Amino acid sequence: MTMNVDVITREVIRGGLEYIAEEMGIILRNAAYSTNIKERMDHSCALFDHEGRMIAQAEHIPVHLGAMPIAVRSIEKKFEGEIYPGDSFILNDPYLGGTHLPDITIITPIFFKDVLAGYSVSRAHHNDIGGMAPGSMPGNATEIFQEGLRIPPIKLVSKGEISKDILNLIMTNSRTPKIRKGDLMAQLSSNWTGEKRLQELIAQKGMKTYKLAVDDILNYSERRFLSILSGFPECEAVGKDYMDGDGIVDDLVELVVNVKMTKKHVTFDFTGTSEQVKGAINCPYAVTLSGSYYVLRAITDPTIPANEGLYRHLSVIVPEGTILNARSPAAVVGGNVETSQRIVDTLLKAFSKILPDRIPAASQGTMNNLIIGGTDRSGRPFTFYETIGGGAGGRPTKDGIDGIHSHMTNTMNTPIEEIEVRYPLVVEKYALREDSCGNGRFRGGLGIIRQFRTKVPVVVSVLGERQKTAPWGLAGGEDGKKGIYSVIKSDGKKIILPGKTTTTVNAEEIIVIETPGGGAWGEWKKRTEKSKEEDKSNGKVKEV
Amino acid sequence: MSKISIGIDIGGTFTDIIIQDKETGLIYNQVKVSTTPKNPEVAIINSLQEQLSDADKVNVQQLYHATTIATNAFLGQVNLDLPKTILITTKGFRDVLEIGRQRRASLYDFFFERPTPIVPRKYRFEIDERINAQGEIITPLKQNNLKKISDFIKTEAIQSVAISLLHSYKNAKHEQKVKEYLEKEHKDLYLSAGFEVSPEHREFERTSTTTINSVLMPLVSRYVKSLTDSFKKIGISAPMFIMQSSGGVSKSEQVQQLPVSIIESGPSAGVVASCFLASFLDLSKIISFDMGGTTAKAGTVVNKSITLTSEYEVGGDVHSGRITKGSGYPARFPFIDLAEISSGGGSIAWVDQGSALRVGPISAGADPGPACYGQKGDDPTITDANLVLGRLNPEGLLNKTFKIYPELAEKSILKKIAEPLKLDVINSALGIVKIANNHMSRILRIVTVERGLDPREFILNAFGGAGPLHACDLAEELKINEIIIPNNPGLFSAMGLLFTDAKHTYVKSLRKNLFDIDYSDLEQAYQVLEKQGSVVLTEEGFKTKSIAHKRFVDLRYVGQGFELLIPLEGIALQNENCKDQILKRFNEKHHSIYGYILEEEEVEMVNIRTNSLGLIKKPRLVKITEGTTKPIDDAQLATREVYFEEFKGFKQTPIFSREKLLAKNKLVGPAIIEQYDTTTVVHPNWKASVDSYGLIHLTRM
Repeated sequence: MTMNVDVITREVIRGGLEYIAEEMGIILRNAAYSTNIKERMDHSCALFDHEGRMIAQAEHIPVHLGAMPIAVRSIEKKFEGEIYPGDSFILNDPYLGGTHLPDITIITPIFFKDVLAGYSVSRAHHNDIGGMAPGSMPGNATEIFQEGLRIPPIKLVSKGEISKDILNLIMTNSRTPKIRKGDLMAQLSSNWTGEKRLQELIAQKGMKTYKLAVDDILNYSERRFLSILSGFPECEAVGKDYMDGDGIVDDLVELVVNVKMTKKHVTFDFTGTSEQVKGAINCPYAVTLSGSYYVLRAITDPTIPANEGLYRHLSVIVPEGTILNARSPAAVVGGNVETSQRIVDTLLKAFSKILPDRIPAASQGTMNNLIIGGTDRSGRPFTFYETIGGGAGGRPTKDGIDGIHSHMTNTMNTPIEEIEVRYPLVVEKYALREDSCGNGRFRGGLGIIRQFRTKVPVVVSVLGERQKTAPWGLAGGEDGKKGIYSVIKSDGKKIILPGKTTTTVNAEEIIVIETPGGGAWGEWKKRTEKSKEEDKSNGKVKEV
Repeated sequence: MSKISIGIDIGGTFTDIIIQDKETGLIYNQVKVSTTPKNPEVAIINSLQEQLSDADKVNVQQLYHATTIATNAFLGQVNLDLPKTILITTKGFRDVLEIGRQRRASLYDFFFERPTPIVPRKYRFEIDERINAQGEIITPLKQNNLKKISDFIKTEAIQSVAISLLHSYKNAKHEQKVKEYLEKEHKDLYLSAGFEVSPEHREFERTSTTTINSVLMPLVSRYVKSLTDSFKKIGISAPMFIMQSSGGVSKSEQVQQLPVSIIESGPSAGVVASCFLASFLDLSKIISFDMGGTTAKAGTVVNKSITLTSEYEVGGDVHSGRITKGSGYPARFPFIDLAEISSGGGSIAWVDQGSALRVGPISAGADPGPACYGQKGDDPTITDANLVLGRLNPEGLLNKTFKIYPELAEKSILKKIAEPLKLDVINSALGIVKIANNHMSRILRIVTVERGLDPREFILNAFGGAGPLHACDLAEELKINEIIIPNNPGLFSAMGLLFTDAKHTYVKSLRKNLFDIDYSDLEQAYQVLEKQGSVVLTEEGFKTKSIAHKRFVDLRYVGQGFELLIPLEGIALQNENCKDQILKRFNEKHHSIYGYILEEEEVEMVNIRTNSLGLIKKPRLVKITEGTTKPIDDAQLATREVYFEEFKGFKQTPIFSREKLLAKNKLVGPAIIEQYDTTTVVHPNWKASVDSYGLIHLTRM
């Protein structure tokens, strides 16, 4: 007789596991220190089973989640036989399960009566982890060593004892040590909550039932995935798209994917993609996987529980040494935030040929990373980091959304009143960027203009994209407008910044970020008069 | 009756009316009548005409009212057209309202919609002015751009205006000036400004809250007027108090200025009633659990006070008990901390593509209703599952006045659940109940464990039409040892209206290190807020001796971006050691929620808050006839087969009539207690006892 859990128990346990992941996220956010986590929610949480399979995740940041299983695997491998109750591990090395250095992952094994039952995992973007530029996002890095402190998988907490030395080492390497500590403690607090809750759940249901239910939950996601796949055509399609450049050499960098679908399996083959580059837009394989997972979920059914079972029938092939599967010590800080967006665009381009009525035109395709660092007037070093939304792509049935984050990120903006209290910066404008959308039957969303005046001399790093190629339209829709970053000097002269650079800006000068608009879907002549009129009266799109 | 209070709770399906004799404190009458959605006053007036003599009407001293008008306005219900409203912002920031926090509510859905901005871009105006983070004016306000706006108001027939300028929580001068100017120019214009509605930092939330308030002002004013006019026509001219989301009432004149305060008016009454019960029975920790036809709601009452939160999104989607950020319109105002889930008697069970049994979020509502109603609905609901399991009376609901068809319930579960899942009907029905319970236990966890509270220390107060059916299951799930079922669970929320004190909340942004504060200044700042409360309460008719104030402070470690609300009750600011006392309270709360404290870290204050209360005389619960431990013979109506998982099958179970149970009666589970507005299931291993007020206490054996 095969052992099985009844469907009801399975559903109850599944609900319980998802709830735990969500609660972890809330704890992390509330206990965190940095505005980046607190206000912008740049963090993610998930639960894994004893075999290291992801069993539940909270809906956080897509780019964080795909790469987590690799992080868990790297702990299992390195610490085999040395994992004890009360331990917690930490890592940020992109080549050993991380994404880029600012994203620190903490993994806590969960034991029930001395038997390993699973792991709680949190990943959060820390706003400074050392390296050559404040904010640890240097647009001009050429080696990972310049990007900050690299933490291989190590034990941060051993049998309940936090290693003060490790904490000290991390704090010493950050420009904002207190905030680092606060955020790391918040991550631990979140993991401990996950640990406690999973133990309670197992105590209630029994270890055997829990394990059987987990198998079943994973199979359930697999079943739902296959049932959707069976409704899709069996075919192949190619998608191509480009990165503006790597910040060092000014050439376009090509991404290629061949998507192959059968009723049973999906393959994303990135063979043909550019070799890894000198600048910081390389990706570890984990990031490519995250982008692939994101697209797979979005084109099938986002209500399928995201776990290991959902991804069983997906192969992601990426030749080593390309920018989508870089070798150490390539610089990677922009891979996670920028190239990941292009991975999505490239895949969607291919899918627009397979599932034309489900795929939107290109969204802004960048996160517009902005880091402003320096010393405030009281002599305290500060680092301000944020990403800025833009236009989302027009869709086969409706317009794209104005001024919003798309695809691989979903962080919130930092309130202006919070910025002005905390940093020597004045926000002068935060507005929709008029006429920045691609026009068409369903127009793209508008980009954003965000403008800062600095009161002290600062170092500014920008890391952005879509300044040379525009977010593409589909089905005859226009492309969206490209993004522009600039500095207005004290004499009023406007200097255009490259998309990826680190530069100094003097006191009283103004940094202007104009983010790209979304591409349109369908031809302009098919747009309704009512929509045109509405855009005009709202000053969003003037006469075309 | 020489003095009368009336409580009126208008819900989607029913309007509940409770009439109380104020002299004796006794409830004179309570009725449920069908709601008349288009003109809600019709149902009320008709019912009051029947119940009250002309002499009674003159004696009505207060009307208490809970309404969903404010929420419905944002859900596009009842054909409410939002009034033409404009927003005035600082130059460069008119799009803050539309961009919001630039986050999408749905991560993987390419086709999701952001809620349409409450005020379209063409109605958002910028004025040249700027105040910095320290509250200093860096660009003075120029009157000339106001002229243009004023003209626009005239030509476009604008009804209301929202004013939200940057850093107005620090310095309100510019907002005040704009308001005064427009007030002078336009007599009938509704105006509200950020510094009055939400004087705290974070511009988007303040702008959104202020805008919501402005949009609601004309609607709520009209509503209040038509309601009071109707009362006057039948000879009732008593003042009307409206339930606010914070669980206190406010006089209707006040509410017209601050309609954003009544958004969750409806759900609040139930928690207030639970709070009253906690005080009356002297219970320190209870969970208020309200399960009706479409949703279930949970909140807590700790040390006889209600837990509040300041985050809410009007019209937002709820995902497993929490509102999804970015799915609605944020309103920053005190709200009772409730978790809500689409799980009620009418929630539909279904099987998804991956062969999993799901329950909700879609509800069969009252029309077509559960399959067993024999109307058009053939989808199985939680009610159908309870019926199949023998928990509901197969002969009919509402004391058998409402006929139901058990065979239809069985048929729909068989076809839609049992066959696709290859289960039998009974196990399918049990599955539906279990999954619903699982959803509901989540909301109970959200308001307890997630807030650092241990549910095992709580008593579950279960009410609403379906709450007592599921209470034992939920208590088992959360290891709660005691449950209280109030006398009229279905009318319990409405009863809460009569128990409600008047309440006004005030906040002032005051950012300072805890140890840098001059405590006499702080005392003064609190007194200023309390004075404001006293003035309003006096206007509402409260005497000094029935006015009370409570103080709170928002604290965090320096550098954190999220505050904890710490009550200052019992701490005197003139005392030497008050800082240490405050710090201790903060650290304790931080530890209970996040599991750690940072001793070496400094603590800063962000806002100070006060609640000013106008205390009312509470109604009394009445003692019922005393019996013995054994119920009278008449109390047992019948026995019937009821399914209990503990027996893995059906068991002949005694059915009792709640109306016939006497004080001191005890029952041992399994048992079913039926009454007009609900059914209580007493599980095996649980026993029930009736106290001297007729409340049923269920305890684990």
